[in-house]
Amino acid sequence: MFYPVAGKMIPWFAIPAALLFAAGLYVGFFVAPTDFQQGDAYRIMFIHVPAAWMGMFLYVLMAIYAGIGWAFNARLSSMMASAIAVTGAMFTLLSLVTGAFWGKPTWGTWWVWDARMTSTLILLFLYAGFIALQAAIDDPRRADRAGAVLALVGVINVPIIYFSVQWWNTLHQGATIRILGKPSIAPPMLAAMLIMLAACWLYSVAVVLVRLRCIILEREQNAARFVEVNA
Amino acid sequence: MNWPDLSMGEYGFYVWGSYLFALVAIVWEVVSLRQRKKALANEARKTVTNDDRPAAVRTTVLRGSTHETTS
Repeated sequence: MFYPVAGKMIPWFAIPAALLFAAGLYVGFFVAPTDFQQGDAYRIMFIHVPAAWMGMFLYVLMAIYAGIGWAFNARLSSMMASAIAVTGAMFTLLSLVTGAFWGKPTWGTWWVWDARMTSTLILLFLYAGFIALQAAIDDPRRADRAGAVLALVGVINVPIIYFSVQWWNTLHQGATIRILGKPSIAPPMLAAMLIMLAACWLYSVAVVLVRLRCIILEREQNAARFVEVNA
Repeated sequence: MNWPDLSMGEYGFYVWGSYLFALVAIVWEVVSLRQRKKALANEARKTVTNDDRPAAVRTTVLRGSTHETTS
């Protein structure tokens, strides 16, 4: 039931994602002015900030799906968690690499063991651990349960990442955009960042649905093979 | 509209390096998913070819319905 519906939904997310990526890059490179302090180096934030937000958001989503799958034995929910993990890891890696590309010209170093960066690196390790754990266990239900435990324990890292710049003295700057309160950047810069965020979100939905369909098929094939072998 | 200086001041390597990495990551994810999907379709086709169930049932499986083997 879900499989064909997911297939039909994919273009509705993938096409707007491509259009929004193009629009975000247009606003970010052609409309947003050069920053008076950081020069053009600040344009890295149009990919760095959405990637960092997606890395954290997808982890929370993955933990919720994994938790629901574990608590209610909902297989689709556990498969959704598995499908989210790779995209979340990709965005977290992207935020670390683009952060290093930003750090070198602005701070003079590619990497420091700063609270924000270290906790983001831990997030990448949590994603990697989740993926490796699921790959290491043959029985999908046991793999889902083990993954859920790791995902739920690791979710504590997300508020640590978010508040690290307030709790510790960090080289990383504080939040530029707050949920409550006025953003401290120029409107075209903010627009470019939000468009890129929307593009990243739509892209994530599209690729997660494609991966989810693959996982459903793989598990069905494995189940069929199991039945054949044990018949 | 401001035409950007492609050298990005003195930061071209860092700015373009970031976007190039992002592009590579996205292309890698999309291509690896397409390959995974293709491999699964081939596997399903092989299974259906060796299948002695009626043609109507096989077509349903090929179209992607998963009702057949859901336990």
